[in-house]
This record gives sequence, C-alpha cells and structure tokens, in this order.
Amino acid sequence: MQIGLDPEQRAFARASGALAADLAAGWDRGRGPHDVGSPEPSEKDWARIADAGWPALRLREENGGLGAGTVDVAVLVEQLGRHAVAAPVLGTLVAAEQLQTLGAPAATLEAIAAGELRVAPLLDARLLDFAPSADGALAWDSAGATVAFAPDGSAHALGEPLPAADVTRAVRRPTSPVPAAALELRPPTDDDRDRLHAFVLTLLVADLLGTMSAALDAAVEHARSRTQFGRPIGSFQAVQQLAAEDLVSVEATRSAVYHSAWAVDALPAAEALRAARVAKAFASRAGVAVCEDVVQLFGGIGMTWESPVHVWLRRAQTDRTSFGDEHTHQAVLADLDLAPGA
Amino acid sequence: MDFSDSPEVAEFRADLRAWLAEHLAEHADGVSYDSAEGVEATHRWHRALAAAGYVAVSLDPRYGGRGLSDLYEAVINEELAAAAAPPPPPIGHIAHAVADFASDDLKGRVLPGLLGCTESWCQGFSEPGAGSDLAGLSTTAAATDGGFVVNGQKIWTSWAMWADRCLLLCRTEPDQPRHRGLSMLVVDMDTPGITRREITLANGSREFAEVFFDDVRVPAANLVGERGQGWKIAQHMLTYERGPADMGWTGRLGNVLAAAQEAVRSGRLPADDVLRRRLAAVAVDAQVLSWHVARSLVDRESADPGSSGSIDKLLTTRVEQELYHVVDDLLGAAVVVGDQRPFSEYLWSRAQSIYGGTQQIQRQIVAQRLLGLPRG
Repeated sequence: MQIGLDPEQRAFARASGALAADLAAGWDRGRGPHDVGSPEPSEKDWARIADAGWPALRLREENGGLGAGTVDVAVLVEQLGRHAVAAPVLGTLVAAEQLQTLGAPAATLEAIAAGELRVAPLLDARLLDFAPSADGALAWDSAGATVAFAPDGSAHALGEPLPAADVTRAVRRPTSPVPAAALELRPPTDDDRDRLHAFVLTLLVADLLGTMSAALDAAVEHARSRTQFGRPIGSFQAVQQLAAEDLVSVEATRSAVYHSAWAVDALPAAEALRAARVAKAFASRAGVAVCEDVVQLFGGIGMTWESPVHVWLRRAQTDRTSFGDEHTHQAVLADLDLAPGA
Repeated sequence: MDFSDSPEVAEFRADLRAWLAEHLAEHADGVSYDSAEGVEATHRWHRALAAAGYVAVSLDPRYGGRGLSDLYEAVINEELAAAAAPPPPPIGHIAHAVADFASDDLKGRVLPGLLGCTESWCQGFSEPGAGSDLAGLSTTAAATDGGFVVNGQKIWTSWAMWADRCLLLCRTEPDQPRHRGLSMLVVDMDTPGITRREITLANGSREFAEVFFDDVRVPAANLVGERGQGWKIAQHMLTYERGPADMGWTGRLGNVLAAAQEAVRSGRLPADDVLRRRLAAVAVDAQVLSWHVARSLVDRESADPGSSGSIDKLLTTRVEQELYHVVDDLLGAAVVVGDQRPFSEYLWSRAQSIYGGTQQIQRQIVAQRLLGLPRG
C-alpha cells in the first residue's frame, strides 16, 4: 500500500497549479452575466496549455502523447477545478481519451496532443453519457473546439454556446456534419468502454475536489478576516462546526479520487467502473454541499457577482450533473448490489 | 498510488486467514462482556491470539511484539472483522505508552502479562468533571515516601470490572499549569482503596464502570516516564488508539451493510425504491470511508495524527449513524417489537458521536487545528 502522491506527482501538481492560476488570472468574471469573459482561451493561452502537454497527457506515446497514468491526470484536473480554469482542458482530455479508446488514427490523436486539432466530447441531451450519435447531442466543455466526433466517426461543426450555469465552460450543439473530417472508428470492447467511463467519472470527481477545496479555503479565509460583534466570524462555534464538516467532506473526496484514479489503471474494468461510480456519487453530493455551505459562510457578498463564490457553485453543479449525479449512480449501484441473484 | 497489499502484507494476511479458518470456532465461542463466562471467553480468545502472535505486532520484538508497521495491526483488525470474529484486545496504545516511556523495570514487570493477555488492563482517563475537557481532570496522586497516594474518581472506564491493572492519568503537580501537572501511573486493581461500580449502558452493555480511588498507595516504580509527562504520553497513545482499529470498525460496519443488502436481495426484507436508494447511498459512504481509513493509516506518519483522527472519526460517525437509520427503516416494526438486538445496535450507533471526543469537540479540533480558525 502506498496511498498519496509521490514526489514527482506533487511537483506536477505545483507546476500545473501555477499555470492554472495564471490562466485563471487572465479570465475576467466581469460585472454580471452579460459581461462575463468567454471560456474560449486566447491563441496564446491555448499555446501555453499545449506546451504544458495537457492535451497530450493521457494519450499513449504512439499517438503523440505522454502516456500518463490516471492519477497524474487527476492531479492536473484537481488544479483546473481549484483555479476554476476557464479553458476546455477537461473537455479535450475526455474527447481525446474517447477517441483513443475508439481507435482513432494516430495522426488525429497526434494533432490533438499538439493542440492543433481542438475537439470536444459529444454527450447525450441529459449529460448522462457519451452520445450514441450527434442527434440532439451536446458538445461538452467545448469552448474553442472546432469539431466533435460521434462514435460512428462522423465529424460535426459546433454552434454558438448555449446559455449555461457554468460560466467557466461552454456547451454547444453540433450543427452540420463535416464529411471531410470524418474518421474510421471501431466500437469498443465492454472492458474498454467501462474503463473509459471510469476514467471520465474520475476526472469529474477530481474537478469537484479542486472546486470544493478552493471554495472552502476561501470561506475559511473570509471567516478569519470578516469581523462582527468585534470578533472574526470564524471564532463562532456555528461557523467552525460547519466548516469542519466541510473539511471532512473534502478529505473523504480526496480519498475517493485517489482510490478511483488508482483503480482505473490497476483493477479489472468492471471493478474500476464500480469504484468510479461510488466516487462520483459521493463527490457529487459532497461537492455541491460544500459549495452551498461556502455561499452561506460568505453571507450576502457570496450572493453577488462581485464574489467568486457563485462560480464555484456553478462549476460544482455542472460537474455533479455531467456523466450522472449521485441519484444516477446510486440507482445503478442499487441494481448491482440488490438485484435478486446479484 | 497503490491500494493493494505488498507481497509481505499479502502473505501475513493469508497466514492469518488460515489461522482463523482453523481456530476461530474453537476460541471465539461465547465471547462477550455481558457475563462472567463471556468475559472469561473473551480473555481466552485474547490469549489464543497472543499465543499465535497476533497481539501488539507493531511493538518492538524486545518487548514481545514483532516490530511490524501499523498496517499489520490494521490487517489483523480487518481480517477479524471480515471473519466476524471478536475484535483483538484493544491494548496497542497501552503497550506503546509503556514500551516508549516506562522504565526497564516497569516494562519487565508488566509487558509480558499485557502482551500475553494473561493480565487484562483498563485505561483510567475520563472523569465526571473531565470528559471532553480531559486536561481538567482532578484525580490526584500526592507524592509520599516511596510512591503516591491516589484519590479521585474515573468514569467510562472500559473493562474496569475485570481488569488486573489500570493505566491511570492523574494530577501529581497541582502547582503546574493543567496540561503539565499530569502523570501516568500503572495501578494494580487489587490495591486496597479501589472500588469499582458497573455502569449499565442504555443498550444493556456492561462494558463500562466507574472506579473510585480512596487513599490508594502506588509505588514510585509504577510511574510511567517522568512526573508531569502524563499529557504527552496520553497524546502519544491517541496516535495508536484509532488508526488500525478504525479499519476493523469499518469492516464491521461493512458486515452490517452486507447483511442488509443480502436481506433485500433475498426478499427477506421488503424494500421499496426509496429504501433501495438509501441503502445504495449509505453503501457509497461506507466504501468511501474504507478508502479514507486506508489512506489515513498509510498517511499518518506524515500527518498530524490527532487532528486527522478527528476527520476520520467525524466521517465514521456520519456513516455509522446513517447506516443504522437505513437498517432500522428496512426492519420497520421489528426494531421496536421483538428481538431487541437491532435496537441495541442502533442505540450504540448514537454513542459514536459521544465517546472518544464528542462530535462537537472533534469539529472544534478540525476547525481550529486544521483550518486555523480562531479560538472563540
């Protein structure tokens, strides 16, 4: 047993965190919903992202990637959540892994790894899973993406961003097919499909972890500096008790990310998917609950556009819903565990 | 990152499983704290584990341990839970206090009986006036010629009714600030002046007792460490008290969950959609708890064990109390009418947020020590 990040992973977390913070600093929340900065990164920022190797992280070396393990990818995604990065890194990682699983040609994956081809995953209209086709699908975390592929290999151009809760990521509809860009893909084996699913759920848990821990840190900082009745509000027991339970949720979610990320690469696919469903169910509940507490701890200012608090809650709710919330996964787990003969 | 066993741990685990398969039925029959026979059976079980080399394995071999890491203590707790065997003797923290602080003479006198489980021990910490505020305890040990004279009262002392010795936290330096005025003594429970009174819990359990000390003479040679070191030793013990045992407790909660799942699967307990979803939700929590406990066990050398222990306890409380809510709702009227074991287990789950530092105190520790929020 060795549970926790090794020195290299910690160094990668620091380096990714530094770039994520820098990217976040360049994004402007604006003064209100009509003034918020686009999550589409500038050419310069996207070049920095590609230079950092983020789109290439999970792709295998023969596909122009870095062949990183899921734990490393989760380390990066936690930092994306922590800094609420408004750039479609997560969408790119998810689309790249789907395409790799479906046997996309190396040339396509190399172009994604290099940041030259900007892709987004297609999800069904309820955001529960990858879409079976482009009909009614949504291109998820797709700011700046030029194309999205359906499992049959058809390529689709994307429309304008739809109104969405999350101001740091865009959702768009596929508009028209782009026959010239179509790929030859093959259906995945059951194991490959389960492992892909486990990988994606794990990344969402990591994004929730980063989001909730950043929100809690900010709330604690606020509680230490904001005074009422002549004392910091963080000295009041009601505030302390709430914040303490939130840290329990954050640390439990961290344990869930560690296990689920390890499981993607180490356990049989069905077990890895089961672990990821457990982690996603837990983190969906915990992440939103912590962000809601943080709104409460900030008080009135947390309800304004001037404060970043709503950005975390928006991101957490979107992560929670994407690829299934706690109800979705608990229903599946109930069937797995409780069906007669299971 | 690796949640799986190393080859060494896997071998240790396999050996223990084999031993349990062969000896569990023979040694674990009738174990309880509800009767004299049950207690005798408990002691037999502990002696059998000790003879097989499964007690205090993390202690240095000089003192009768095997010099293994805490992980192995956790494996023992985990495997005993998985086999639905009675728990191992809860003495690791006492053994470490004695081994790490006591004189060679004291170690030589008490460790063989402690580790061999031929003598049973209790831990005299809590008092009627010092529960959550343990450092405010008032049992005194006044220095006299050749030793101490102890006066005071302890409460919630587990297994005190049958204990041969007590590790007693008491005040020897009344002039010192409260944390620095405490010392740790080994007290023989047959010393004149000790009176024990059983406490029957709301669920009928007879594990606890009050212990009264009236002019109880304790030789100076029974002082653990130095005078004034009591709080430091108590803190040291806390680092050994929870981690590995948490693994066992989590496993036992897992057994309760598995039994409920099996009852629903087989149709023995009817469950509508709402109950099935709640059972699935608490299964999620229990699974995350077991991952978390594994992580804190492996992590504890680098972390502040007292504080991260508070996180673990709060998480365990959440899971355990919700688990019994769901189990009892599955059972329905059978909880309140008929065999009262389910109701007793439910009642005990309410104690989880009280013993070993209440939920409120644990949250305060987390808020102030880990989050750095200011004291009120």
